[in-house]
Amino acid sequence: MAQIELCNITKKYKKNTALDDISITIKDNEFFVLFGPAGAGKTTLLKIIAGAEFPQEGLVKIDGKIVNHMESKDRNISMVFENYALYPNLTVYDNIASPMRSRLYRKDENDIKTAVNKVTELMKINHLLERKPSQLSNGQRQRVALGRCLVRNPSVFLMDEPLAHLDAKLRHMMRGELKEMQTSINSTTIYVTHDYTEAMSLADRIAVLNKGKIVQLGTAQEMYFTPRNEFVACLFGEPEINIIEAQIYHESEKVYCKAFNQDVFLYPGTDVGKILTGEERSRVDMGIRGTDIEIAFERPGDDWLEGCVYANEPIGNKVIMTLTAAGNKIAITCPNDTKADLDATVYFKINMDKVLFFDSETKEFITRSDMKKYKKGEETDT
Amino acid sequence: MAQLILNQVYKKYDGKKKKLFKKQEKNNFAVNGISYTCNDGEFIGILGPSGCGKSTTLRMIAGLEKITAGEIYIGDMLINDLEPKDRNIGLAFEDYALYPPLTVRENLAFNMRAKKKAQNEIDEAIAYVAPLMKIDDLLEMKPSALSGGQKQRVNIARAIVRRPGLLLLDEPLSHLDGKMRQQLRQEIRRMHHEIHCTAIIVTHDQMEAMSLADRIIIMKDGMIQQIGTPLEVYDDPVNEFVAGFIGEPPMNLLHAKIVNKNGGFVFTFAGSELEVQVPKKYGKIVCGGMEVILGVRPTDVMITKKSAAGTQVRIAVYENLGDERRIAVRVGASLVSITTVDDVFYSVGDKVQLAFHEERTHLFDPATGNRIRG
Amino acid sequence: MEKKKNNKKIYMALGAVGRNLGLTLFGLFALFPLVWMVLCAFKSDAQMYNTVFRFTPTLDNFYAVLVRTDYFKAFFQNLVVAGGAVIITVIAGVPCAYALARYDFKKKEDVAFQILSFKFAPEIMVILPIFLIFQKIGLYDSYFGLIWVYQLITMPLLIWVVRGYFEDISVEVEQAAQLDGYAWYEVFLKTLLPLIKPGLVASGLLAFIFAWNSFTFPLILSGFKIQTITITALRYISSDTVHYGQVAVASTIAVLPEVIVALFIQKHLVRGLSFGAVKG
Repeated sequence: MAQIELCNITKKYKKNTALDDISITIKDNEFFVLFGPAGAGKTTLLKIIAGAEFPQEGLVKIDGKIVNHMESKDRNISMVFENYALYPNLTVYDNIASPMRSRLYRKDENDIKTAVNKVTELMKINHLLERKPSQLSNGQRQRVALGRCLVRNPSVFLMDEPLAHLDAKLRHMMRGELKEMQTSINSTTIYVTHDYTEAMSLADRIAVLNKGKIVQLGTAQEMYFTPRNEFVACLFGEPEINIIEAQIYHESEKVYCKAFNQDVFLYPGTDVGKILTGEERSRVDMGIRGTDIEIAFERPGDDWLEGCVYANEPIGNKVIMTLTAAGNKIAITCPNDTKADLDATVYFKINMDKVLFFDSETKEFITRSDMKKYKKGEETDT
Repeated sequence: MAQLILNQVYKKYDGKKKKLFKKQEKNNFAVNGISYTCNDGEFIGILGPSGCGKSTTLRMIAGLEKITAGEIYIGDMLINDLEPKDRNIGLAFEDYALYPPLTVRENLAFNMRAKKKAQNEIDEAIAYVAPLMKIDDLLEMKPSALSGGQKQRVNIARAIVRRPGLLLLDEPLSHLDGKMRQQLRQEIRRMHHEIHCTAIIVTHDQMEAMSLADRIIIMKDGMIQQIGTPLEVYDDPVNEFVAGFIGEPPMNLLHAKIVNKNGGFVFTFAGSELEVQVPKKYGKIVCGGMEVILGVRPTDVMITKKSAAGTQVRIAVYENLGDERRIAVRVGASLVSITTVDDVFYSVGDKVQLAFHEERTHLFDPATGNRIRG
Repeated sequence: MEKKKNNKKIYMALGAVGRNLGLTLFGLFALFPLVWMVLCAFKSDAQMYNTVFRFTPTLDNFYAVLVRTDYFKAFFQNLVVAGGAVIITVIAGVPCAYALARYDFKKKEDVAFQILSFKFAPEIMVILPIFLIFQKIGLYDSYFGLIWVYQLITMPLLIWVVRGYFEDISVEVEQAAQLDGYAWYEVFLKTLLPLIKPGLVASGLLAFIFAWNSFTFPLILSGFKIQTITITALRYISSDTVHYGQVAVASTIAVLPEVIVALFIQKHLVRGLSFGAVKG
């Protein structure tokens, strides 16, 4: 139960700036995700909130109180570290019991036992209680670390990649468990990840970090459907969004695009067309996800583009087909019985209503069809 | 160009190594009598969890481990007692074992120089391989200047540069991050398409095996569970292990009890009131009181909001991942996950009804894990 | 096939015999000086040069050393000096090692190397100035003076080993403990101390042995008040004759604590030092 305010946080290591003027307000009880590539400064930000690192500039406030100089033990925070940070000399049981044995949060041994048993059952590690961390696999260690974090009822949970070292199956399951737990724990949670599915699934709000700066702050849906720039667009979605360079042509009232040096007219939606007409552009970057491209083996119509199969990867419930067209690669999600020979010629059609338009110079987001629909989503969320 | 045949191959570690393989103490065999045939030019994926014996198998084929019993043939030649260097095998490990003081070009040439090949022959081979693995620009660089993905490209290029009859890849992508892994996966596939050698890749990542291999061998505890094309192992698993191992998100595997009701059969689940009609195809083989494991993929579970007669379940998790939505409901103690691409919106706590895609449900024997076919 | 198997068995048996023979030879070689010393301790001066293993054992030497001289006083004083030196080293060295492992300050590596380099200089090189200074400020022939100067022997080793241990512990473990609600001294006692214990014990005991054996410093820096046993042993070499038997007794007893310590901590010592050595 705490609101966290970060005001103009700047952190430098020698000459490298890890965090550059970060200001965020994380609401009480919010599940907040810090998302970004490696080295973006996510972990540093988390440690600053925990009190394990100190910013050169800026204020950290918990519930309105400035805590810059408060020791971490007094902040009532519990944290999962990416390298687990388990006590190597203690058993799993003692590791998890540790927060409840400190002077600040002391409980009697019976309560500790019930609490530890509850949390270890949830994490499916109750058969490992007597082991030392060195005898565990990475996945098990991670669950112990998560257990140690969840056993207490702090005002803030900080989680640094808590699922990163689990295998896909366990990660899927634990994500579900975390998500379900979210409703029952009354605490603000800040969660660091580089996995977009975790971010989208768990977050109330997401902050995308890159090189120590916040690139975009908003809900998962905003990130996915109206990313601020190509960088954010590429972070969300698997396979990665296709960025296609296109030329804009004005034809009386209408605007159309051409791509891949092919003589196929691509008409954007009228609302997009208006915006594109207003600006004197000759080029634009189109972002289109693999799910929004259709594929065919015979050309069904004039508005279909031509490509060459570069790779064809069945991954169970779908097939990811990669085409090449004029040197560009385009990844397309197809049904799981699609088969194609490498280097065969195929045809594809872009669903122009789903295209995200970016400025080809600045890579900033311009517009997309149905902006209202996605803007409305924003209003209801805030 | 060669066919590879394994005939009843066993591997047993003795002495101190036993401690490392605790799980196998019962039978002591790291690889327990496996037989299969890789056809000429085929790309085979050996898939399994850690400690299943997949790497040991590969190392036996390469000649780095002794074979305890059984025979391995390449073409018609028995290679059990052949030195690794005489087996005409190209091998790329997980760790890129490049020689640091040599440039990429010298690294590629190293092996052929050792075999006293002519310089122009070497140059030709490198000129052929470099564009295949997209390392043309890197040839004059030292390994220390390369990124992980580039090193692995060089590593694979080195394995194929002398055109071996058999290419072995041991977890070549596991050190790389997501995007790089996906890219290299495609390039390995294209490289194989180009040179068409018999290739084996060992991996624990089902996605990797599915996307690369023509056929997949799934191993567990030193034994082969199933051999088949990616689609076969996905759609038609022979046992519970394969069903749970292949597919992401994984198949829902639920303990169910079959109960007689209104002249038909229904599945019931401990701790839940949910009842699901037993598909007709199983009508003849099931009986009341029988316990089974019901397997159904997340994509084959349908949700309806209609409040008809059936039992309702509560939504426990709702995740909107942009292009698909993942939903989980509690059935007893387990979470049943559902994946859908439809634009549906639920919130946690909503009551819904479940329906299973009848044709795509699988039954497994709880004792043996074997598939029960209708 | 059968023959082959038999041959293999014979080879294996031969190998085992060879290995054991080699080990026995090495054991004899390594232990012989000790055995010889103990034998000497039981020989009278008359039999010292004309017997090898067969002689009439006598306790005269023991009587001469233990009763007629103040050997026990020296033994005790040695214990105080060496023990005191180790205690001071642990109290000052562990925080120093922690600082060198954790904090980032200017010239850190230079400071660390400087500490280690104390170990390089031969003691004889610094002994004269120290002697003169100690005489001036009244530390000559005092416990405090010796314990102080012994830090040169004991401190570098301990700091170097324990620093390696601290570097092996991830910072996050400390941070986790703090978030668990422990104050800094509790973090140190409950989390860090158990983790560095092997290194601390091993290097502490090794430091004790080095201090115990030290010869040059007490030779010059102690006089009549303080005597260590390494110096005392020399007393039996008089101007006219050398009492080898008495020297042997003095040395045998001097070695005892080390042998006992070494036997007890053998495993600890090897593991503790090699673990630190990898990092250090």
